[in-house]
Amino acid sequence: MSDDTDILLLTDELPLEPATANSQRIDLAAQDEAARADPLLFERAAEEPPFARAVLTTPLHLNVATESRTNLWTQWNGYTTPHILTNLEDEYRALRHAAALSDVSPLIKYRITGLDAAAYLTRLVTGNLVSLSVNESTPVAFCEDRGLVVGDGLLFRLGENEYRLVTETPHLSWLLDSAIGMRVRVEDVTSTLAVISLQGPLSCSILHEAGLAAIQTLRPYAGHWFDVLGMPVYVSRTGNSGDLGYELWIDPEDAPSLWIKLIEIGSPFGMSAGGFALRELARVEAGLPRAGVDYLGAFAAVDPAHASTPFELGFASLVDLDREHFTGRGALRAVRSVPPRHILASMAIDWHESLQFAAIRDARGVAGIATSLAFSPSLGLNLALATLKSSAINGETAFYVEAEVKRELDLSLRKAPARIIAGPALALPARHLVPAPIIQRR
Amino acid sequence: MRIPDSSFDAIVIGGGHNGLVAAAYLGKAGRRVLLLEASPRLGGALATDEISPDYRISTGAHLLDAMPRQIEKDLKLAKHGLRYAARRVPTIALDRDKQHIVFSTRRSDLEILRRHSAADAEAYVVHLARMKAYAALLTPLITEALPSAGMEQLRATLRKLVWSAELMGSASLESFMRQLPGSIGDLLDDVFETPLLKGALALDTLLGSREGPYAAGTTLSAVYRGGLRDASTGPRMIEGGLGAFIDALAAAAASFGVIIRTSAAVKRILIEEGAAKGIETEQGEIFEAPLVLSSAHPRATMLGMVGPRHLDAGLTKRLFHIADSGSTAKLNLALDGLPTIQGLAPVDYGARLLVAPSLQSLDEAFARFKHDDFSSDLAMEITIPSVNDAPLAPPGQHVMSIVVQYVPYEAAGGWEENRDRLIDRIVETLSIYAPDIKQRIVAGELMLPPDIERKFGLPGGNWYHGDMELDQLLMFRPAPELARYRTPLKGLYLCGTGSHPGGGISGLPGQLAARAAMKDRGRA
Repeated sequence: MSDDTDILLLTDELPLEPATANSQRIDLAAQDEAARADPLLFERAAEEPPFARAVLTTPLHLNVATESRTNLWTQWNGYTTPHILTNLEDEYRALRHAAALSDVSPLIKYRITGLDAAAYLTRLVTGNLVSLSVNESTPVAFCEDRGLVVGDGLLFRLGENEYRLVTETPHLSWLLDSAIGMRVRVEDVTSTLAVISLQGPLSCSILHEAGLAAIQTLRPYAGHWFDVLGMPVYVSRTGNSGDLGYELWIDPEDAPSLWIKLIEIGSPFGMSAGGFALRELARVEAGLPRAGVDYLGAFAAVDPAHASTPFELGFASLVDLDREHFTGRGALRAVRSVPPRHILASMAIDWHESLQFAAIRDARGVAGIATSLAFSPSLGLNLALATLKSSAINGETAFYVEAEVKRELDLSLRKAPARIIAGPALALPARHLVPAPIIQRR
Repeated sequence: MRIPDSSFDAIVIGGGHNGLVAAAYLGKAGRRVLLLEASPRLGGALATDEISPDYRISTGAHLLDAMPRQIEKDLKLAKHGLRYAARRVPTIALDRDKQHIVFSTRRSDLEILRRHSAADAEAYVVHLARMKAYAALLTPLITEALPSAGMEQLRATLRKLVWSAELMGSASLESFMRQLPGSIGDLLDDVFETPLLKGALALDTLLGSREGPYAAGTTLSAVYRGGLRDASTGPRMIEGGLGAFIDALAAAAASFGVIIRTSAAVKRILIEEGAAKGIETEQGEIFEAPLVLSSAHPRATMLGMVGPRHLDAGLTKRLFHIADSGSTAKLNLALDGLPTIQGLAPVDYGARLLVAPSLQSLDEAFARFKHDDFSSDLAMEITIPSVNDAPLAPPGQHVMSIVVQYVPYEAAGGWEENRDRLIDRIVETLSIYAPDIKQRIVAGELMLPPDIERKFGLPGGNWYHGDMELDQLLMFRPAPELARYRTPLKGLYLCGTGSHPGGGISGLPGQLAARAAMKDRGRA
């Protein structure tokens, strides 16, 4: 607006020359003429430089926005993401009793290809990849030289020499550093690959209804190409809800059509769309730590004491110290027998409503810090992922939290007992079932 | 030579002086050692070549500057043909007004300095003593293997360092701590007023480096180099050039039973379960040994011969980024007679002659160098080896060896365009001091950093397998994980100039690495 005024002021003071002013009006015929003479005029504009934009939207943004009744948004890796679409309780009910559909395109995705791709990944991650065959995925963690975890994610093998690494936070510079001297290409395909997550007990039924033949035979962590309405879709039986669920990997141009189709087929099953808050709640129930929130990557922590080894994060099952070399192996062998400095644990806090707190306390004071909190409607418990000082863990310690409970202008401090729970708080058997259960629509 | 057996106690990769020293020490300790050199000839940048029929010269390095007496004695180099043409070669800064400054505290030499500045003559004696005292602090760190990176040992070493520094008195300690991180240029500006003296002293610190005289940390370089030099007996010239030094080392190694093979490039180091097991040559031969010592560039060894898949990614990255492009050119000249350097006493023609008129001219040359160009005011280190070693040239004739500082690896516009311009500049600069030089030149050979790289196998044309700068010295050389000669791979050691204490022709990395390898092996 102000720009317009400026221009007006400027032109006001300039002596107007009507003849030339008119002749400067856009003369379409003349431009067509010019275009014929000079094809350069029709060249596409230069592409936007990388990182020019800080606020990104996913290919499914308009579809997701259609589902929003709250206009509550947040950001996830720079992408505008719904926080809550309708309300968390309804979304949760759909997730645990029918299915929840969400746009997880902001997940960071790397395509790793080349002759040395397998050797590259073998050195990158801490686990053993020998048994990872094509169209399978496996959870992985990767460390730097000191054996501190840089990040974790899910690794798909898509072909003999083609892999996809999916992570919560970006790691391109570390992936490229690790590629020095290897015949491998690493590219960030986050913005060129859309991902739709369909989680919940009826997720298989919905996909079956959508015409994905034999989807029920897909094993956990396996993937397969399907044709949906003429669109190629890679479907993997993955997700972080701790329940049966799938992730659908698709070209951004096709993604909206697939989303519409799934909404159409899923709605009669009781499926609803879910936001980021639902995703967070589900992963805390499933006991899955999130990089950058529940633990600091080795390069994110200013103080190395605040970074963690895989053993400290409960990733011991992702480490194989007896196989060929990987980055951090030497350091991890050295700390294998050393007690951890801290541990990341799932905790349950017995309280009937959602609590806000950070300190996990014991008789001696603060024993640790809770980094993710969630009230689980199915369990009727407050859940937390917390990093506890190893000195505080000796089996007998009684933990508690002190929460501030606010009611209008009433503030009270509540002491609630807390305990460590082994394994995920919510682990639903359907996540392992093969064939996956299918319920015909009534 | 046929090799009767393919299994050894130790294999040494690279037949430069450090590789030969390491192999000789291992052989002397009774180990069966195989030494493999990629090129057809041993010695790397230590070579004597004919640049024109009957004119022979050290084509690469031209002075033996930092080898401790002990190595010479241990390896009985004199018995194997090592003869010095000159010991304690003096250093002289050439003056445009013929008042050349000799770096010495002899009264007659100080007299000339006094003609430049009486104050400087006084200050020079104090300055030398102070630098020597500083260097003495570092000497124990230089001639010994470094303490392990463990905090305890490190603390003990630093404590020892501080104690001995305190013995110097608190005032000197304070000035030491204040000056060490600073630049040699600022230090010299503080102490002296004669531009030539300052320029030449700074050049002494900066030869072969890519830093300017006013770069932070160059005072430490000066002290460090001083320490390396003090560990030996001063610069020496070898009869027959530095190629003859290599011949003596090779003979010594052979006398200890070391089997030496040239034209045998190592393709890879065999690794089994995180330990070195031997090597495979480019020709496909396999030799086994529980100890493998490489004097090749740390990057070539670890990334080329071992391969990134056996190493952590962070280490790989650090090796990949070792800074090491060269900064010097070498001009070797055949002369039909001794050039007349005006004002130079006849006995001083055998000295090490420095051309560096002032700190400003050095700084200007550095600025040009940074922008891939060279200055018209070149800084040089010159020797005329045939003065001390007549057989190098036909009777009455001479060879001259010139190291030119601040010559970039790549010249803006390409070396094709600039090579002749550089030669002209060097000869012009020489004629300021020796007006008859042009008429004397019979033949010549200019080696630019890329030529030095190609001919001597020195990456980037850098003398040191990685700059000798603050972040690549002591326990950071060549990388923190690789300091102390050991690598993350059991049985694999680094014994080249890329390892502590680094460059200058000291043989120390070779000696100390061999000692470390035998110590570990003895324990196992």
